[in-house]
Amino acid sequence: MFLALKEMRRAKVRFGLLIVAIGMLVFLILFQQSLQNSLLRGFTGALRSQSAPVLVYSTDGQRTLQASVLTPELEGLARAADGVGVVGRIGQGTFTVTAGGSIAEASLVGYDTVGLGSPEQLDEGRLPEGPGEAVASAEDADDGFDVGDVVTIEPGGDELTVVGLVEDAQLNVGPTLFVTYDGYVAAVAARNPDAGTPLPNALGVAPADGTGPAELVASIDAQSDDLDALTRDQAADEAPGVSQVRQSFQVIFLLYALVVPFVTGLFFLIVTVQKSGALTLLRAIGAPGRRLVAALLVQVVVIVGLGLLVGIALYTPLTVISATALGIRFETTAVIGWSVVLLVLGLVSSLLAARRVLAIDPVLATTGVGLR
Amino acid sequence: MRLALRELLRRPGRFVTATIILTLVAVLVMFLGGLLDGLIRSSTDAVRAQDGDLIVYSSTAQSSFLRSRIDADTRATVGAVPGVAVSGGLGLVQLGARVPGNGPRDLAATALFGYELAPVGVPDPPGPGEVFADDVLRADGVEVGMEILLGPARSAVTVIGFVADTTYSGQGSLWASAATWREVLAANRPDEQLGDDVFQALVVRAADDADVAEVAAAIDAASAGATESLTITQAVDAIPGVEQQRSTFNQIIGVTIAIAVVVVALFFALLTVERLGLYGVLKAIGARSRTLFAGLVVQALVVTAGAVIIAGGLALLLDAAIPPGSIPLDISPRRILTSAVLLLGAAVVGCAFSLRRVLRVDPASAIGTIS
Repeated sequence: MFLALKEMRRAKVRFGLLIVAIGMLVFLILFQQSLQNSLLRGFTGALRSQSAPVLVYSTDGQRTLQASVLTPELEGLARAADGVGVVGRIGQGTFTVTAGGSIAEASLVGYDTVGLGSPEQLDEGRLPEGPGEAVASAEDADDGFDVGDVVTIEPGGDELTVVGLVEDAQLNVGPTLFVTYDGYVAAVAARNPDAGTPLPNALGVAPADGTGPAELVASIDAQSDDLDALTRDQAADEAPGVSQVRQSFQVIFLLYALVVPFVTGLFFLIVTVQKSGALTLLRAIGAPGRRLVAALLVQVVVIVGLGLLVGIALYTPLTVISATALGIRFETTAVIGWSVVLLVLGLVSSLLAARRVLAIDPVLATTGVGLR
Repeated sequence: MRLALRELLRRPGRFVTATIILTLVAVLVMFLGGLLDGLIRSSTDAVRAQDGDLIVYSSTAQSSFLRSRIDADTRATVGAVPGVAVSGGLGLVQLGARVPGNGPRDLAATALFGYELAPVGVPDPPGPGEVFADDVLRADGVEVGMEILLGPARSAVTVIGFVADTTYSGQGSLWASAATWREVLAANRPDEQLGDDVFQALVVRAADDADVAEVAAAIDAASAGATESLTITQAVDAIPGVEQQRSTFNQIIGVTIAIAVVVVALFFALLTVERLGLYGVLKAIGARSRTLFAGLVVQALVVTAGAVIIAGGLALLLDAAIPPGSIPLDISPRRILTSAVLLLGAAVVGCAFSLRRVLRVDPASAIGTIS
């Protein structure tokens, strides 16, 4: 054990390079894990943070809130489905706004019934009480969307005063404002004087007593192929782009996770081959094979452990300063999960080197062959 | 140098693991680059294809077609600006399309453009109710002669031909006359409908002798700030998310290249340690440090080149294996070449870590070190 640590102190450059390599890989894995989660939160946070247990889209919307339009006929069919309790209209659009003195793009979510499309839980302030008020996504508070700030719809100049904030409630990875349905209709008219009265993009539905959300979804879908009902979680998980983002990152994680054991395994295999003479000698003077393997495993744990620390040390400040402006945050679960996975992979990768150590024949020390 | 190549030929086994690791890193770099290219292409091809010098949006639109509105007066103002040769209206509506033969819930995602100036590769505007379809829509079962139904209003359009490389926002585009687009927009998106003479944007061709940047500035000045005129490249870059995607992916690719540097450095540092005695002998018989280091660089370049070739093949296989509509991967020869150059550069830089050790080898140490 002592020998293992001493060897590492004597070959600082070699072991240092390995630690740096593992550290950079860990950093990239953690950064991208946070990036993925941040993107998914930014794409669909508003769907999870709104209060309707079931959202009804038109099939034409292809599960994109803004693209869905419910004609009066479809709305009537949804309202008439078995198991429907309360129904509220939801409208959503993307608008150019002036906030904090700058032009920005913001999504407006309009709801006509509190509890069916309004934010489920506020982190600050209160819900809007009229068309000129809004609850904003808390991530954008510093950009002119804080409580008390006034946001202007462009062109048209309609003003919305932010009266509340809600965490993790963005849509389209940008500022999101929850407003009353009247406020939403007014914003549409302000933006485009040619616009007709907007049809609702979706309906927020609460099931009647004794009906579960899944049962309600089936009942509404049975009304028409043009209706697409989803539970709140389904609406977020099955939004377009979510599965592509997940699939893309899975391939990336797989490749990065493979590089770690390959680099670690290669390193310890080469080092073991290089010091096979010394190891043969140690075996010849009575050191048991398992002690040499234990020393090897100690080195693997120390190196991978230090690599993890380097990676976490690089990752942590990035989550504090949010350098990419993507709202990346420190993910404790990801840090613990990946640390365990990479440590295990590192240990598994050293098995080849361990096998080589165990195969050393102490007798070779007497012939000189094993000492080359 | 010959010695280094001979070692590679005679003992390829000792370089296999390093090649595998570098292959993985190279696949990563190509996959990340291909993902970036795929994401950007699928979002921007329709804008890139515009056959003009400028795209004129309303100033508050932030380069979004859906939030832009150019009325007849503004269009007349733009047309009167010196240096403007011709302008054409452009409009967009994104709708689900019902394709005959597909299930009632299996819609194709489409972006219907109404245009006056034909984009590159797209014929002049077709007749009423007719569209040219981007060939990515073939994967959804769209065929020439087929009537597809757009949006909740089931607006019928007939596909009269296919065009290539014109996707927008990840959706297959449809190219129609301005009148068809206006009709479909009003029927399906009442909140976005526009007046008869209103477009979302204008495509402007500058006169042959005109400076495009000056024309853009003149248009915005003439409209008293009501417009924002961008070159096609600027318009592509201004599409929401494009710049962010590019910078984030490039940072990740940069760190991955840095990992390749460290991997090469680590591997060749280990090899150098193993060869110190040999290097002592070679130096003792007259080999220069420069030659020995060049041998290391050659080995690193050959190993990396091998890894890049394997990775290029794997990346192309991955590209072919991924079904359309899942991961937006676009592995191009240019991306493979760029990745190869970056990785070969990383190999040379990585080798430099062993330079000091090679220089410090004392020829006198050869005495008694090799049995």
